Amino acid sequence: MRLHEYEAANIFESAGIAVPTRAVATTPNEARKIASDLGCPVLLKAQVLAGGRGLAGGVRLATSPEEAYMLSKELLGSDIKGFRVRKLLVSKKINIERELYLGITIDGYERRPVVLVSAEGGMSIEEVARRSPERISLLHVDGYDELFPYQARGVFRKLGISSKQLVPLADILMRLYRVFVCYNALIAEINPLAVTDDGGLAALDAVLDVDDSALFRLGELLPRDRERIENPLERKGKEIGVSYVELEGDIGIIASGAGLGMATMDIIAKRLRPANFLETGGGITRELLYRCMDLVTMKPGIRAIFVNIYGGINPIHEGAKGIVRYIKERDVRIPVVAKALGNHQEESWNILRTGGVHVVTDVPTEKAVDRLFEILGA
Amino acid sequence: MSILLDKHTRVLVQGITGRIGSIQTRWMLEYGTTIVAGVTPGKGGLAVHGVPVFDTVKEGVRETGAEASVFFVPSAFVKDAFFETVSAGIGFIVVVSEYVPVHDVMAMCGYARLNGVFALGPTTPGILTPGQAKMGIMPASLFSPGRIGIISRSGSLAYEVAGVLSEAGIGQSTVVGMGADPVVFSNMPEILELFERDEGTEAVVIVGEVGGVQEENAAKFIEKSMSKSVAAYIAGRFAPEGKKMGHAGAIIRGSTGTADSKWKALSDVGVEMLETPMDVVDWAKKHGLR
Repeated sequence: MRLHEYEAANIFESAGIAVPTRAVATTPNEARKIASDLGCPVLLKAQVLAGGRGLAGGVRLATSPEEAYMLSKELLGSDIKGFRVRKLLVSKKINIERELYLGITIDGYERRPVVLVSAEGGMSIEEVARRSPERISLLHVDGYDELFPYQARGVFRKLGISSKQLVPLADILMRLYRVFVCYNALIAEINPLAVTDDGGLAALDAVLDVDDSALFRLGELLPRDRERIENPLERKGKEIGVSYVELEGDIGIIASGAGLGMATMDIIAKRLRPANFLETGGGITRELLYRCMDLVTMKPGIRAIFVNIYGGINPIHEGAKGIVRYIKERDVRIPVVAKALGNHQEESWNILRTGGVHVVTDVPTEKAVDRLFEILGA
Repeated sequence: MSILLDKHTRVLVQGITGRIGSIQTRWMLEYGTTIVAGVTPGKGGLAVHGVPVFDTVKEGVRETGAEASVFFVPSAFVKDAFFETVSAGIGFIVVVSEYVPVHDVMAMCGYARLNGVFALGPTTPGILTPGQAKMGIMPASLFSPGRIGIISRSGSLAYEVAGVLSEAGIGQSTVVGMGADPVVFSNMPEILELFERDEGTEAVVIVGEVGGVQEENAAKFIEKSMSKSVAAYIAGRFAPEGKKMGHAGAIIRGSTGTADSKWKALSDVGVEMLETPMDVVDWAKKHGLR
C-alpha cells in the first residue's frame, strides 16, 4: 500500500527527519488560510499516488495567499495522471542549495534490501540510472535488519560528499532505514533531499510503500483510511477477494491463477481485445464464480466471457454451478466459453453445457480460445 | 531420477491439522509421497490419516528421520516455523503459504543460506516428481513420468504446460514451482543447475512471467553453464505497466520486467521461445523427447 506524501512525511518527521512546515488543504479556502499562516511563497502539491506528478502540473508555486486560493481551485477536483485530486499539501518553500536522492528498496533477485543514493536529486532514479549511472552509489544490506552507520557514511562517501555533510546525511539514512524496517516497506524514498542555503537538510518529498502482506501487524502505525484503489471495478474485485485489472477491450476473462490468466489474455489478444485480467485464486466456490461473472459483466460493452479454471483446493463443479446460476438469473445473452479441468471435471462440463456455456474439454488454452474466435467470427 | 524429491524422501507436513493441511496430506499420501510426520504446536499425539503429529519439528525429526518439510502454515507464522525447521536440521523446505511479508522472506533467505538449506516459495504450488511424490498442492492427474524438467513462477500455468505434454504422451522428470513473490527462496539459476546435474532430466522448460529479473539471470546462467536444451514461455505480453498481475512479483516497473526483455535475453542465448504453452509439444517432439 502506497501512502500519500502527507502521510509519509509525518512518519519521516516522527523518525527525526526534517520536513518543511506544511498542512493539508481540502478546499481553496483552507489553502489560502494555510498559505497565510505559513507565510509565502508556498508549494501546492496534489496528493495523488502517481510518479511524475510535478511534470503533469500537480505541483504549483504560490507567492501570495490569494494565488494559493486561485491555484487550489484549479487543482482540487482536477485529474493528474488519471487520479482525482482530493487533497493538497501546502508546504513552505525553502531555499535549496543542492538536491540529493535517497532511497531504500528491495532487490528481489538479490533477496536483500538495497540503499541507493545519488547526487542527482529531483528526477526519477531510473532516469539517473540510464543517463549517468556513475552518479548513483548503492549498497546491499546483508544482515537485512541491520544497517551500520559506517556503511551509511560509506555509501555517501562514494559520491564524493564532503566531510562536513557526511555525518548528518548518514544520520538521515539511518533514520530512513529504521522506517523501512519498522514499516515493512517495499520502498522508502526521499527525492529530493534538499541541502538548504543555511546548510540544513530537509525531505522535500516522501514516498513510503508498505507491503500489503504485512498490514496485519502494522495496525496503529498506519493511517486508518487505507482505501487506495481508484478504479471502481478493481475495488470491487478486491472486495470479493479476486485480483482484477481493467483493460481496454471487450472480452471478459475469468482465470484461476495469475500465470494462466496472463497467458489467456495474451492468447486472446492475438485477435481480440481482453476487457480485463481476473485471477480467482485457488479456492473456487459457487458463490465466488457467481460474483466473478457479475464483476466481469459490469464493464460496459462486453461481447463474450472466457472462463479458464483448474480445480485445486475445491472440486471444479462447484464453480460451474455459480456460472450457470448467474447466466440463468441475469439472462446473459453474450457467449460464454469455458475450459474447466480438475476434480469432478466431467460433472462440471455437464452443468456448464446445460446452462448454455460453450465447453471445451482439451487441455490447451489455445483450443478453447480458437472456439471463442470461431463463435465471434474473429 | 529427479531433483529435490523422490518416493524415498521422508517428508514432514507443517500445519497438518488445518483444513487445507489435512486434505492435502491425504492427496500427497495417495500420490505415493513418504510422509512420516506432521507438526502443529499444541496438537502433539494426534494422528492425521495415520501420520503422527508432533508439537515441535525437532521431535518430529528425532522420532521419524524427516528430511524435508512442506508448509501449510498461516502467513503470519511462517517465519517462526521456518526458523524452527531450519534449526531442527531439515534440509529442504517448501512454503506453499501465500501473503508472507516480504521482510520475513528476506530474513528467512539469509538464515537458509547460512545453514545450507534449499527452499521453494513462498506462494508456490510446490514440487512434484511424477509417479513418485509431491510436496504441495499440484493436481496429480496432469503429470506423467518422463525426462523434461519444468520450472515455473506460476502454479496453474505449470499445470497447463505439464498437462499439454502429458496429453501428447511426453512425461516430466520433476516439476518445480519457484513461487510467485517478489523475493523467493531460490532463484531460477539455482534450480536450473539442479536440472543440469540430474541424469533423469534431458531438457528443461522455463515457464516465466512478467516482473523481476529471474528470466534475465536464467539466461546468463544458461549461456555459461547449461548443456541441456531449454525452452521458455513468458506470460504477460499484454500486461499493462505498473499493475500487479495477481502475483505480487508479477509487475512491470518502467522498462524492467517486460515480456519483451525476458524474451530477448533468453532467445539471445539460444533458448527456444514458445509463442504459446501448446507449442511445448512441437519443441519436445523436435528434440525426440518423450
